[in-house]
Amino acid sequence: MYSRLIKNDIRKTKLITAAITVFILVSAMLVSLAAILAVNLFGAIDNMMLTARTAHFTRMHAGSIDMAQISEFAEDNANVESWQVLEYLNIEGAQIVIGNENLSWSTQDNGFSTQSREFDFLLDLAGNVIVPQDGEVWIPLYYMKTGSAKVGDEVAVHGVRLTVAGFLRDSMMNPAMASSKRFLVSENDFELLRDRGIMEYLIEFRLFDPAASTTFESGYIAADMPANGPLAITVLLVRLMNGIEDGMMIAVLGLISTLVVIVAFLCIRFTLLAKIEEDYREIGVLKAVGLRVSDIKRLYTVKYGAIAAVASVLGFLLSLAAQEPFMANIRLYLGVSGREVFGVLAGFVGAAVIFLIVMLYVSGVLQRFRKISAAQAVRRGAPQEKTRAARGLSMNGRILSTNAFLAIKDVLTRKKLYIIMFLVIVISSFIMMVPQNIKNTISSPDFFTNMGIGRSDFFFTVTNAQTQDVLGLSAEIAKQVSQDESVLKYAWLTTQLFEMPPVDGAIERMQVTLGDHGVFPVTYTHGAGPKTVDEIAISNLYADDFGKSVGDEIVLMVDGAEKQLTVCGIYTDITNAGKTAKAIFQAHGVDILSSSVWVALDNPAMTAIKVTDYQAKFPAARVIGVNETAAQMFENVASAIGQASLAAIVIAALLTVLVTILFLKMLIAKDRYPIAVLKSMGFTTRSIGRQYMLRSAIVFVLGVVIGTVLANTLGEYAGIALMSSFGASTFPFEINPLFAYVFSPLLLALCVFIATLPGLADIQRVKIFNHIKEA
Amino acid sequence: MNKIITGKNIVKIFGHGSEQTKVLNGVNAEVEKGEFVAVMGPSGSGKSTLLFVLSGMDDITGGSVRFGDTELSQLKENELADVRRKKMGFIFQQPTMLKNLDILDNIILPAAQDGKKDFAQLTQRAKKLMKKTGIAGLEKRDITEVSGGQLQRAGICRALMNEPEILFADEPTGALNSKSSEEIMEMLVDINQEGTAILLVTHDSKVAARADRVLFTKDGDIVSELKLQKFSGDKIESRTEKVLAQMAAVGI
Repeated sequence: MYSRLIKNDIRKTKLITAAITVFILVSAMLVSLAAILAVNLFGAIDNMMLTARTAHFTRMHAGSIDMAQISEFAEDNANVESWQVLEYLNIEGAQIVIGNENLSWSTQDNGFSTQSREFDFLLDLAGNVIVPQDGEVWIPLYYMKTGSAKVGDEVAVHGVRLTVAGFLRDSMMNPAMASSKRFLVSENDFELLRDRGIMEYLIEFRLFDPAASTTFESGYIAADMPANGPLAITVLLVRLMNGIEDGMMIAVLGLISTLVVIVAFLCIRFTLLAKIEEDYREIGVLKAVGLRVSDIKRLYTVKYGAIAAVASVLGFLLSLAAQEPFMANIRLYLGVSGREVFGVLAGFVGAAVIFLIVMLYVSGVLQRFRKISAAQAVRRGAPQEKTRAARGLSMNGRILSTNAFLAIKDVLTRKKLYIIMFLVIVISSFIMMVPQNIKNTISSPDFFTNMGIGRSDFFFTVTNAQTQDVLGLSAEIAKQVSQDESVLKYAWLTTQLFEMPPVDGAIERMQVTLGDHGVFPVTYTHGAGPKTVDEIAISNLYADDFGKSVGDEIVLMVDGAEKQLTVCGIYTDITNAGKTAKAIFQAHGVDILSSSVWVALDNPAMTAIKVTDYQAKFPAARVIGVNETAAQMFENVASAIGQASLAAIVIAALLTVLVTILFLKMLIAKDRYPIAVLKSMGFTTRSIGRQYMLRSAIVFVLGVVIGTVLANTLGEYAGIALMSSFGASTFPFEINPLFAYVFSPLLLALCVFIATLPGLADIQRVKIFNHIKEA
Repeated sequence: MNKIITGKNIVKIFGHGSEQTKVLNGVNAEVEKGEFVAVMGPSGSGKSTLLFVLSGMDDITGGSVRFGDTELSQLKENELADVRRKKMGFIFQQPTMLKNLDILDNIILPAAQDGKKDFAQLTQRAKKLMKKTGIAGLEKRDITEVSGGQLQRAGICRALMNEPEILFADEPTGALNSKSSEEIMEMLVDINQEGTAILLVTHDSKVAARADRVLFTKDGDIVSELKLQKFSGDKIESRTEKVLAQMAAVGI
């Protein structure tokens, strides 16, 4: 009997059933997709790290290295399972020529290595440990993505000729965001290259308890171990960097899915309530003849159960098909996950959760049955809508046309009804804009100021790895820059390592960058930059590590004496593993880790030329264009979010069209009587249609305005939540006005307009005779 | 040419295929300018359908309906709407008012839609009509705040706003008590005497007795016609008896 009931009911309400099915289907698909991708992403990362036997803690170091010291440290530390030191031969991008192009455009640190013996293996794309032959070079996957190399290309490095044998997966340095890249060659070829670059070392440890890698790091620093290099990489950071690109996309899918579920709820609520109103008398009769509320509820839940089940299953199946392009990216970068079956299972569970949520919601809405009094329902039918004409708006003295007046009056009087369409427009604007805003924000050059890097055009870095005389070279650079007429402003900063007074016997150290931080300010999440020699600003990771907030004291050992500093600001940083501080006091005789000169030009368009010039003048320093670095670092994340954003635009448009069609059809069905009245008074179909167009337009404009405001304010929090995985805890949204204020509203307007047309045909079909007689 | 409505050989069929019902069976009916015509008949005899097709609110399956010289079935939907708005007025059994407008705005609505822009004048006219129909003072009331009789009067005011040539009334007193019913009928007689033709459908012989002419319908046909003197305050009882006698004669 149920199946006949459902069939009949669905036949009568094809459109609404189709729309609700689509909404549930889309949300089930997205949730399932997000679940499948998440499981496979983390599976693939784990799998890769397992095969590659990724180091749990890695420190890059340039300069001399004392193996005995490392060995002693490792033996004393109970957590060390094994350790090794790998050679990493840093070679200028300009000296690496693949085919006819060199890599001077790349902001990555490029270096050559041999295959490791113990752990931290470099893998081929099939996940096997590569054994490079003489004359072969294996290229980081990053350069496959950028299209810089293909198998068989010839690579020339300082006259040494090699052939690209394939691409390698580097569990530690795969992502664009890891700023170093390893090229793999045979040991013989490595010997040929040995003197052509700057030797750096990767000091690597495998730990018994990888979760303790952060503690291990403090121990490492406290033991005064070699640490002269840009990177300290813990296993946590490796996992994060490998996961972030796809992880963000998954998060965006999750966000969209949540919003689509809400839209589905709105539609279910709207249609269910309309249906209850329609069936009010029958429900009363059923109650009167003694059916229980639960029995009556079942008649309704069965239908929605059937719809939700079909839609969830279809959504799940569709997600299996849709996962392919996403999975291809994961497979390429990270390899197979080995959890495919589990992923499918997670997808199914995701879709099932959507089904359950929908059923719970339907059941919740149907609680209303309890309130229906059998006697009242049978005698009088559904209670009249409790609407009152909106006061203070009357025909007399109005300036609008009759149609406009009636439309506005109706929207004001029946706010509760229109709120559904309004919310959907708000949500659609939101879905359309937030991912786009996130993408813009990441692509924006100013984004770097939220990441601990001041807004400049380019900068020089000088490290011990490049020269014995860091200070001398940077002073020379600063001098040249100060005499350069095209330079607008510059700042010279030095990064030094300070000890902190021992607490419970353990010595902590803090890396502090000294100099004038006011020239290229970063964005502070709390407080402001240092203005006096007694102030210090710290990165949020340091703030967490040391449990400090603005106003707290930090004591550093400066030139042999304790120096009291007040925390004046906290900022987000992604450089140097997120652990940095900024101060302006002077210090002598402390280890200088690195030195940098930041430059802004009168004409930023000249950046590329200046970078090339200065790089030629100071080959021992690295000259890096900020915009270029930003672009290269974030392009993959931006393009992953771009994909999700495109999906979001399509989904938002689809939602808007479907809901508007649905809403207007139901509204017109509900309004058959007043439409007939208007027709009987001589209103043409066109002028009544204009009223409905106008009602949509009013709701639309309100929805878009509120939606845009919310997307650009509340959406920021959603964006921050997503991007906090970067370590960026706060930043303003970068809004593309053309998209946010022109393209997005226009697209939605077009959707609403198209969707209004079928409703107008319904107005045409309303016959005065049939409906006036009904009254 | 004094005929305002001329219906010839009107056929109206509802439904399709085997579920067809023939409601009007080749009916001829006409209304002269300024005439007051009543249509009586049992339920299902097609009297309301006749009113709706003669007013162009429903289309016909066969035959012809002319308003003056204009064949209604030839008009496009918009032209038909224009005729309804400018030349016709309608009163229904249940007052057909828009819920979200107050009484005054409901009354003004068709005139405003007709492009009449002088609201002071429209309001003045509406108030005059309201006074005449005994509902002065209810201008700003919600339609849920007045009685059925008052609402029906407001409906009459609305129907008269555009000074129609003919008023169609479908059981205008059907939902009212006898006192209100009497008052409404007196009003209609007054309106007719000022020159507006009326075509009225009713069950009530006392209501029909105020007409100049009564048409009796049965099974989709007009089976009889009763001509009366123009009603001018004379005794309603004797006219009602004539109507009742005719009804008995044709067996309805």
